[in-house]
Amino acid sequence: MFNHQTRQEANASVVTIQGKVNFEVTAQLRDVIRDTVTTQQPKLLVINLEGVSFIDSSGLGLLVAARNSVDKNNGKLHLCGLPPQVKKTFDQTNLTNYFSIFATEQDALRGA
Amino acid sequence: MNKGVVLVVDDEAQIRDILGFYLKRAGYQVLAAENGAKALEVMGKVQPDLILSDLRMPEMAGDEFCRIIKGAPATRDIYFVLVSAMDGTASKIGGLNLGADDMIAKPFHAQEVMARVESAFRIIAMQKEIKRQNQKLTRFQERMNAELELAARLQIGLLPALPGAAPRFRYTHRYLPAEGIGGDIYTILPSGEGGLALMIADVSGHGVTAALISAMVKTSFESQVRLGGSPLDWAQGMNRDLARNTLAEQFATAFLARIDPVGDEMQYVAAGHDAPFRIPHGAKGGLRHPLVLSGHGFMLGLEEDLPFEAKKSPFEAGDRLVLFTDGLVEVEREDRCLLGEEGLLRLCAELPADEDEAADYLVAQAKVFNHPVPFGDDVTLVILDRIE
Repeated sequence: MFNHQTRQEANASVVTIQGKVNFEVTAQLRDVIRDTVTTQQPKLLVINLEGVSFIDSSGLGLLVAARNSVDKNNGKLHLCGLPPQVKKTFDQTNLTNYFSIFATEQDALRGA
Repeated sequence: MNKGVVLVVDDEAQIRDILGFYLKRAGYQVLAAENGAKALEVMGKVQPDLILSDLRMPEMAGDEFCRIIKGAPATRDIYFVLVSAMDGTASKIGGLNLGADDMIAKPFHAQEVMARVESAFRIIAMQKEIKRQNQKLTRFQERMNAELELAARLQIGLLPALPGAAPRFRYTHRYLPAEGIGGDIYTILPSGEGGLALMIADVSGHGVTAALISAMVKTSFESQVRLGGSPLDWAQGMNRDLARNTLAEQFATAFLARIDPVGDEMQYVAAGHDAPFRIPHGAKGGLRHPLVLSGHGFMLGLEEDLPFEAKKSPFEAGDRLVLFTDGLVEVEREDRCLLGEEGLLRLCAELPADEDEAADYLVAQAKVFNHPVPFGDDVTLVILDRIE
């Protein structure tokens, strides 16, 4: 089932997502990301996708929108922990070259 | 001032007069009857908002009268107050069980009755408001449904007519939107000398917004094809159109191709879309080796001026192309196993020669995989055969 947590690190906000990311949950997730970006204005937003079993096109749209809103604040968006199934979707859509993607959350936090 | 219509039913003329006096003074229109049967006669002419009825009356007593009123759809919403000489809890419950909305014990004070009537009319007013709102909502919903149905018919009209045929080609499609209208679209146009331009696309999201964008995608593709150029030019042009005209989260995955039968070749751009399968000699049916067309690229509409990549593939006489949107393969079995590209590829290894039979078979197999849940996403499947 879909789940998410948000926490603050020294210079970054970390949003961890688990489960199936499809159109049924994007509205909820959009609010979480928007709240994090507007209230914390992080220089770095890390979205950890380690526990994501599946992501559909509306989920990808959400990540693209997240990148746009972080860009507007002169921040950066780093994604990490892409499981093989998700990696495949990213490859198919070339999003591997659109986002900054890291293997682990530590790498994503260090890659600032 | 008329605050509403009250029907007073009592076999004692004095009680009818007293209640009538107070009710009229408070601004109500008053009807009177001496028993249930007479009251029903009165109601044949005027429908009251509230009935104040005695329990014990000759001919038709209050309990039977109440049952009749509450049993008939035309009168069941009338507020019914039973006035009973028995002041015991048991008889109060008995009265409410009959369907009466309230009970007043006899002997009563006129002021108490008036207070109950005022309170009843507040409830009546609320009920009327709820009913009015409900009717409004129902009418709104009916109008929305009718408009969606119209939009759905319009959208189906945007798809190529079936049976699909062009010189040297035959094709068919299955189009199953998840919500009546959807974000899937495909089209086939003549291009060049005996060739075809084809596009299949899946707009992010569902419903009306996705459907609107899908129409935009189709128009954009058609104008690109008219401009000439190659699938790479088409992809760049469509990407620009979509990036300029949609919001940040709205984009489309698409597969664009031009098939040139003279050169036995197909040029294509895969823009974030599930790669179609080419089945060499697949138009003849039977056991075959379907191949996944290679290539990947950005979705259309993400950002202007993103680079796309054009690919080539043979497409010879007797070959079959199977195009689909992700709704067909992202069906999940109870054990959470997805049909996936691999599953569809296995199914495509042996298909009937007839395109329609092949399309029905694939959709049926995907449905079996997904059983008992219906498809959650828009599903489009296109089978294109190059005939010999």
